[in-house]
This record gives sequence, C-alpha cells and structure tokens, in this order.
Amino acid sequence: MLEFLQICIGGLVVGAIYAAIALGFSLVFRVTGAINLSQGGFAIIAAMIGYTLGVSFGWPLWVAIPAAVAATVAIGTMIGAFTFVPALGRLSNANVLMLTAGLLTAIEGAALIVWGSQPYAMPPFSGEEPLVFGAVRVPTQAFWVFGATALCIAALWFLIARTKLGKGLRACAENPTAAGLMGIDVAQMTLLSFALATLIAAIAGVIVAPTTSLQFDTGRLFTISGFVAAAIGGIASFPGAIIGGIFLGLATQLATAYISSLFSTAIALLILLAVLIWRPSGLVGGGAGKRQDTRDEVKAVGHAARLPPNLAWLFAAIALAAAALVPLVVTDNGILSGLVIALILFMTLMGLDVLMGYAGQVSLGQAGFMAIGGYTSGYLSTNYELSAVLSILAGIGVSLLCALVLSVVTLRLRGLYLALATLAFGLLVDSCAVGFLDITGGPSGLVGIPSFAVAGFEFATPRAMYYVVLALDAIIMVGLAGAMRSGFGRALKAIRSDQMAAAALGINTVRYKLAAFMISVTLASIAGSLYAFFFNFLSPEMVGTGRSLELVAMLIVGGESTLVGGLFGALLLTLLPTAFQPLAVYKTFASGALLVASFLYLPQGLYGAFVRMAVWLARQRGKAKKSATKTTARAL
Amino acid sequence: MVMTEDQVNASAELAAVLSVRHLTKVFGGLKAVNDVSFDAAPNQVTAMIGPNGAGKTTVFNLITNILSKDAGQVRFLGRDLARMPAVKIAGLGLIRTFQSARVFPGMTAIENVMVGGHRLSPRSGASQTLWLRGARHEERRILNRAEEMLELVGLAPFRNTHATELPMGAQKLLEVVRALMAQPKLLCLDEPAAGLNDTETQELANLLRAVRTLGVPVLLVEHNMSLVMNVADSVVVIDSGAIIATGTPTEIQNDSRVIEAYLGREGHAAS
Repeated sequence: MLEFLQICIGGLVVGAIYAAIALGFSLVFRVTGAINLSQGGFAIIAAMIGYTLGVSFGWPLWVAIPAAVAATVAIGTMIGAFTFVPALGRLSNANVLMLTAGLLTAIEGAALIVWGSQPYAMPPFSGEEPLVFGAVRVPTQAFWVFGATALCIAALWFLIARTKLGKGLRACAENPTAAGLMGIDVAQMTLLSFALATLIAAIAGVIVAPTTSLQFDTGRLFTISGFVAAAIGGIASFPGAIIGGIFLGLATQLATAYISSLFSTAIALLILLAVLIWRPSGLVGGGAGKRQDTRDEVKAVGHAARLPPNLAWLFAAIALAAAALVPLVVTDNGILSGLVIALILFMTLMGLDVLMGYAGQVSLGQAGFMAIGGYTSGYLSTNYELSAVLSILAGIGVSLLCALVLSVVTLRLRGLYLALATLAFGLLVDSCAVGFLDITGGPSGLVGIPSFAVAGFEFATPRAMYYVVLALDAIIMVGLAGAMRSGFGRALKAIRSDQMAAAALGINTVRYKLAAFMISVTLASIAGSLYAFFFNFLSPEMVGTGRSLELVAMLIVGGESTLVGGLFGALLLTLLPTAFQPLAVYKTFASGALLVASFLYLPQGLYGAFVRMAVWLARQRGKAKKSATKTTARAL
Repeated sequence: MVMTEDQVNASAELAAVLSVRHLTKVFGGLKAVNDVSFDAAPNQVTAMIGPNGAGKTTVFNLITNILSKDAGQVRFLGRDLARMPAVKIAGLGLIRTFQSARVFPGMTAIENVMVGGHRLSPRSGASQTLWLRGARHEERRILNRAEEMLELVGLAPFRNTHATELPMGAQKLLEVVRALMAQPKLLCLDEPAAGLNDTETQELANLLRAVRTLGVPVLLVEHNMSLVMNVADSVVVIDSGAIIATGTPTEIQNDSRVIEAYLGREGHAAS
C-alpha cells in the first residue's frame, strides 16, 4: 500500500508536467486549429539555460530560473513569429504540424550544438531532503511542480475566461475569419497563443528539470507525452488536457513499477490508440459535428512540380546512366556507403510520397515499418539462416500484418489525429525494439546479420550493394510512376484534396487509402531489411522515431508528390554529414531547419526548383532555335 | 381495371430513374423535409425549386445519404438506396455535384475532369504499375474524352491551368463536366448557378440542354428561376420542407399557390 502511494505521488508529479504541456497543446489548438509539436523543445531549452545560468554561472536559482524562462519565451516568440504564424496562413493544418515537428528537430539540433550530447542534472530548488508524511516521502520538488502547474492552470483560466484578451483568443478559436472582421488581429492572437504555450512549456521545463536527467533530445519526450496526454483527454478541452496528463502520468508510473519499465511507454501508447478508436475526440472532448457538404479546409493543396514528359524521360535516362557510373569514379567507401544509405532511404521515401504526397495521409511513424522489416529479416537470417530474399518477404508479411491492424485505427482518422496515431505506432515499435531483448537485442542492437545474398552470391561491399539498391529503386520508380500518372494516382490526389467529392465520383476512398498505405509499408519494410543487411547490424535508433521525422524532412525538402523528390532530400541530408564529418553535429539542426525553410519558402522542394530551372533552360534553347530560324529566314 | 395507389407507384417507379417517397427529416423540432415524394423521369431535366431555406439541399443530401433520413424511401433505377455509402451510390451511376464548387485543388483542369472517368475505367493499379498496353490505352481514351468535355464548355484553352485558379463560373462548369465524365445515369446538380453571373448562367443553360440531348437525365436543385424555366421539363416546388406543386414550367408559373408562396414573394422583392 505504501509503495503504491509512493508510486502514485511519482505519477502525479510526472502527470502534472504532462498536463502543463498538454495545456499548451490545447491552447494553441483551440486558437489556431493546429498542433504545435515544438513545445517540448522549448521546455528543454528553458531547463538547459536554467542549468547554464544556475550551475555553470553560479547565479542564485531565483534569478537563474526566471531569467531562463524569460529568455526561452523571447526565443520562442521570435521563432513563432517567423515560422508558425506565417505558416498557418499558407499550409494545411497537417503540414503545420509537420513544420512544428521540424521546429522541434531544429531546437533539439541547436541544443546538441550548444550543450552537446551529455546528460545534465539540475539540483532541486529546495534541497535534496524529502518531506516525510507518516511513512510517505515526498521530494520537495514535487511541491514546486504541483504549485507551478496549478498556477499555470489558474492563470490561463483567468486569462481566457475573464479578460478581454481571452475573449479575443476565444473568438479566434471559434471562427478566425469572423474574428478578423470584428477587428481582432488574428495573427497577433496566434502569436500570443504560441508565446503562452512556450511560457507554459518553459515553466514546466525548469520545474521538472531537477527530477530527471536533461539531454538535448529529452524535449521530444515532453512533446510526445504532452501530445498523447492532450489526445487522451480531448485536444480541444482544457480540463481534458489536465485529466489526460495526470492519467498518463499515473498509468506510466504504475506500469513501470508493476509491469516493466521497458513497456511503460508501450502501455501509454496502447491507451492512446484505444482512445483513438473508441473516442477520437478524447475522454472529455466533444465538439459539434461539422457540415459535410462544404469543404472545411480551404487552404489550397500545393501544386506539385512536373517536368514535361519528354524532358522527364531524358533526365531519368541521364540520371540513371550517371548513377551507374558513380561507383567507378567514387572510390571512397565512406561516401559510397552514404550513397547506399541515401538510396535505401529513397525507397522508403517513394512509398512515403505515395502515402503522404499523393494520398495526403500524414505518417510520422514510417520508420516503424523499416524496423519491423529490418528486425524480422535480421532475426530470421541470423537465427534460422533463412535466405535474404525469403527473409525480406517474411519481413514484408509481418509489416503488412501490423499495417492492417494499424489501419483499423488510421482509416477513420484524418489530419492531426492520423499524425498522432502514426506517431504513436512508431513509438510503440521503438519501445518494442528496445523491450523485446531476445529478438531485437534490445538497446545495443541486433548483431551478426549476414550480408545481402542471392543464390550464393554475396553483396558484401558497398559497391555491390549500391548496384542492388539502385536497380531496385529504378524498378520501383518506373512502376510507381506508371501508377501515379494514371487513374490510380489521380484517385489518390482527389482523395487528398477532397474525400467527399472523390467518393461522389465513385472513388472508393477506403480502398485507395489502404492501397497507398500498403505500398508505403511494403517499400519501408524492404528498405529496413536492406538497411540491416547492409550494416550487418540494426539498433532501435537507426529505425526509430527520429528517423521517421527525418524521412518526413527529406520528403518535404526534396518535394512532395513528385516521387523523385525524395531522392534530392535523401542525398542532401545523408551525404552532407558524410562528406563533411566535422559538421555531423549540425545534422539534426540542419534537417529540422531545412524542413521548416522548405515549408515556408520552397513549397515544391528542391525538385521543384530543379524543374523550374530545367523548363526555363529548355525554353531558352527553344527561343534560341526560333530566333536562329528567323534570322535564316530573313537572310533568305 | 382500377389500380391501387401502390400499383400506381410501382409503375411510376419503373418508368422513373429516381423515385423519392415520403422523405422526411427532422432537425430538433423542425421538420426540415416533410413527406416529400417525387420522380425524376428518364431523358428529362427535373428541377426542384423553392425559396431560401425551403429544404432543397436537405432533400438532395438525403437522396445521396450525406444526411440520414428519418423516414421515407429513395429508389434509384429500382434499387433502394437506404444505408448505401456515397461511393456505392456513385457506382450505380447517380453522380452529384456540390453547392460550393468542389474542384480538386492541386490538380489542373484536365486532371480534374479525368478524375471523373474513374468510375468507368476497369484497369487495375497493378496494370498501370506495369505500364501494360491496356492501361496505357485506357489512359489515352480518358484523356481524349476529358479534352472533349473541356471543349464542350469552352475550357479547352485552360486545360493546364490549376483548377482553383479558374474563375468561379468556370469552376462550376468544370465540376459539371467532371460529373458528366463519369457517364451518369442521373446527374444531380446542387445549385449549379449559385455564384454565377448572367453570361455564365447562360453557358450553364446551354450545357444542361446539351446534356439532355445526350440522353442523360438531370435532377436540378436551383434558386435561379430563369434557368429553371429555361431548361426544366418538370418542376417540383418546395416550401417549408413540403411539396406545394409539381408540373411543367408553364403550369408552375400559372399555379396560384406557387405564385403566392414563391413567385409572389420574389415579385414583391423585385418591385
């Protein structure tokens, strides 16, 4: 009983922090309709600045902590003003969510550059000695956590319910267009909500810092837990956020204590998936049904870049020929390995593009299927000496099975709930990869995976593997291009932009979404297997959620719904760190910042820029020819 | 021989493409649609008119199961549409458009129309993936037909323009030909003239007459009286959720109840 109480107190402390972050999610969602994933990043930035000021510089905590919070809010507001606010006007809410995922990655990357990857420990505000009630020991920091969370909730409630500013915020939440017509500065309100969420996150970050160890990527944990908490409670409801947070905190702590620490996240995620199935709007949330015969999301879907068919075939032939010659020129094994990785990731990206770019189904858990494919084929070929091809097929089978189960959840969901469900799935795979020690080798990874081999011929060198992956990519590319240029691709694009209108023309939206999903899963699974064969090794973080987010970044940076765009993103984000080793520490930051910048300034990605250039050049040549014939005509 | 009411209904249903019987929908305490029954005959333009808020669009959404009905029955080509999902209804050949033009953003005008060809393109995604001859031929055929469709409404010069960049009138015409592309057995248009200027409305009227010549029956929910009187073969007038008159445009124009309930009001507003 005593132990139970002790665990519950621990759960409440964690839960209070989750509740605070969830409150931030709820606030931004209610005002803007978008999800801001960057909050956890700000929490960790605040904690890190607090550590630097308080411990490294030796400032007294009562100066260091408020200063850290203030600095974080200032940084956050700046970032929000230049990224989040302009993005809201231009991007669909699902893309805003991915933009904030990019912000989170960029913030993590910045933290990595400034503070390195070592963990930090912040001293508790009021000494190490816990307070003792009877036999229950409560660490003093718990009171700080409860107090700060309660204060945040009370202050936020007062602001929203009792002030004019709050009325403005609520008006924006109900109907931004009408609010704008009534003279409310919607952009300002949006920024205000972003700044307030940052403030809450910063407070949560510095307060929780002494109870946990800080690392550059701890922020991701806060973001995910807060997001999950908000979704469990009902993302549009403040009480829901609080209840969801405390529920999640208690559930994970109890699971850690009584079941296994390895599966505590898995249990939280299963709860989330269950909530998404039975009560998609959360335990507390409700909300009126929306009218279905009008379009709810008017923000235009971007126009994808297209090469004219003749140019496309020409460039494809040139690119393939050049790619075939590369290993004859490049002898450096490091760079060649980088190229192999890029090509393997490109395979996943083509599938992700069919799913996200064409069908418009957000996926933040694609690497989860790489993991399932990779671990399945790695395990089978290591322990049962199954041939590479058969084990890849087995991997596909297991992946498709998992995908079918997941699609029970995802097929009903759209936009941010879909993002949430896929993110949860990816995290679930992560924790299984760490937890199933016997199969996956746990955190240290699965070792001794043989190289890829067909009929006794082993592709052990990077060069051999390069040709295998290149050939597979080329075949997949041609096949998918055939489907995407025809009825299949058109049906997906119709579904992406207007499901209801698509259904009214006889397009079976469920079947097509499922097909796109299965294609993406198959390709991710094959890529995961090849990845494992190539490294002779697979560890959870190679195919974890970080990788999923990186894949999204690659796709967006390269150019969505173009199929080939992913290659540009994969090459850029894989080869740059390989080619310039000293810059490797900047990789995380660069992938996040590039994602954000692409969303804002290069909506068609690098491929779009390439297409514009190619078309322009072709036109210049055409003009030159024309003027040449003109002059000859005149001369005659 | 005297036929019972049921038998009369049955024979009318056989002749009708769409038959709506005793359709009722209650929102809260309000009977938005009250015991509405009518038929859409083959090779005809059937129009449903009525003042704002009369329940026209609700009837429309009940027919296509976007809203669930509280009572009544809808039969299309003899089949009961109860609880049938939108995609299946479309599969039977009942193709609808939406009040707010819902062209697919992110696609060009020609691509939009080509999506309409989806219903009658049997080639699988697999055969497209393998670039099989059949799939390529089908693609060519759809492209050619879509080009004819754009030609029909004079949008051919804008074939590669992104659909959302077209003016409202063009978007509405595009939506109609996209629906036509699906070779409907009944084309249902939800206020196609809403938001169109006079020239555009005239183009729409021409298109609708062309559609009828093609032998495609049309169910038209409309607010614009001159368009209805221009193209409709039979008219159903709804007020406050109930049918107050049915007949040819001339009959409707001379019906005292209609004049009182609808034209009278409009005349009053105009004067």
